Amino acid sequence: MNFIQSVDRLSQLDGSILGEPVLRAEGIDVQYGDRVVLENVAMTLHSGTLTALVGANGAGKSTLLHVLQGQLRPRCGSVYCDGDPIEECRERVVLMPQRSRIDWSFPISVRDLVDLGSMNGQSLGCCDREAALQRVGLSVLAHRRLDSLSGGQQQRALLARSLVQPSRMLLLDEPCAAIDPPSRDQLLLLMRQLADAGHTLLVSSHDWGEALDSYDRVIVLDRSVLADGPPAEVRRSLKGLVNPGNHHCG
Amino acid sequence: MAVLVGILCPVTGTLLVTQRRVLQANLISHAVLPGLALSVAFGFDPALGGVVSGILGALLAERLQRSSKLNGEAVINTVLAGFLGLGVLLIPLLSLRLDLEALLFGDLLTVGWLDVGRVLVACLALAILLGTRYRELVYLGVDPEGAASAGLSVRGLRLALSAVTAVVIVSAMAAVGVILVIGLLCAPVLPGLHRVSSLRAAMVRAALVGLALSGGGFLLALPLNLPPGPLIGVACVVLLCPLAWKST
Repeated sequence: MNFIQSVDRLSQLDGSILGEPVLRAEGIDVQYGDRVVLENVAMTLHSGTLTALVGANGAGKSTLLHVLQGQLRPRCGSVYCDGDPIEECRERVVLMPQRSRIDWSFPISVRDLVDLGSMNGQSLGCCDREAALQRVGLSVLAHRRLDSLSGGQQQRALLARSLVQPSRMLLLDEPCAAIDPPSRDQLLLLMRQLADAGHTLLVSSHDWGEALDSYDRVIVLDRSVLADGPPAEVRRSLKGLVNPGNHHCG
Repeated sequence: MAVLVGILCPVTGTLLVTQRRVLQANLISHAVLPGLALSVAFGFDPALGGVVSGILGALLAERLQRSSKLNGEAVINTVLAGFLGLGVLLIPLLSLRLDLEALLFGDLLTVGWLDVGRVLVACLALAILLGTRYRELVYLGVDPEGAASAGLSVRGLRLALSAVTAVVIVSAMAAVGVILVIGLLCAPVLPGLHRVSSLRAAMVRAALVGLALSGGGFLLALPLNLPPGPLIGVACVVLLCPLAWKST
């Protein structure tokens, strides 16, 4: 039984729902010493779509996101953004890091954090600072210190920082981890709105629960791509291969 | 001198604390010794040798951390011990007449214009770093991965911070010594760090506290006939004690 549903096939099945290809990865191999982390990973992300990258701890999700952003060079394979090699256009892809990578106790206000999105003389993206804050619902908290916000609000502040960058391709590394269910739902709604507005989002997650239905497409990763397609289809194809309950961390 | 060091060290310390580089600063403060000894032996300015030696120690520790999977803290402390040991060994080996106690603990009462000049150079170096790289340093402190992702030179920024730290430590050596300088780098930063909403505000607050500590320690040392450096070191700990009470 072939579990791999390539997005190209998905495109043929229902071309009407997919926009232009934005990010394309081909034959990605990554190895740390003797340990193979990614093996022959290929995918194409289309504009205006919200895609979940699902897998257990150590499945290679964060590594793949770093490769797709051009921060990590794979042993084999290539990544292209709008047809150009990612090495030449890294600024077109924004990576929002995991919660644990951020120093939340750093003395900085929400407003100043969002301003960091326009570093290195980059032109502003779709939103300026105020518009980005408004979009994520944090305008009234702009003056607050970052560590005085709830986990969900902190994630939305990070998302606002991504929105002031010129890129419309967003890679989010476990944005829903360690936040309460209402905050998670709010964040999912926000990501949905961004995708509907034309952004392309790839969101890594452990979540095998109902939240997956919020996505247009689910890619299941365990070193290589195990399944790829709409949420219901991926659940069906993986039934019997893994026990989703073991991975749920909603 | 007490005023200058009281401002310079806490402002630098704010950067180090928020970038989580205090341990590395401690390594630099000990790693300056071999350079000092060699400079004295070969007739160079001791400050120059100290800065070079401090940066070399920091680079060696970073290289060891990057190229191996060894525990970072253990690597830094091992390099610290190695450089300190080398510095102490060089004194008898090169038959130097160095006042080791003055190097380690300083003496505000004996500083000269050359020492003040070194502190002014360190102030200039810090001002250049902050004036040209303030936002990058904020980005690096709050989100190193994001900073790298945005194309900032993380290694370059950290090297620049290490170099400025070495210059600051060597310049403050005459006043408080290479050991006690760590207290003046850290203690004034901590009381108000969680209350401010910007790195700039944290620096201003730390500078004011540092000024009070350094100036107060110096003025107290005169009537008590005690060395100002150790007195400032003790005052740094006393400053933190109310925080411990408050948190329990």
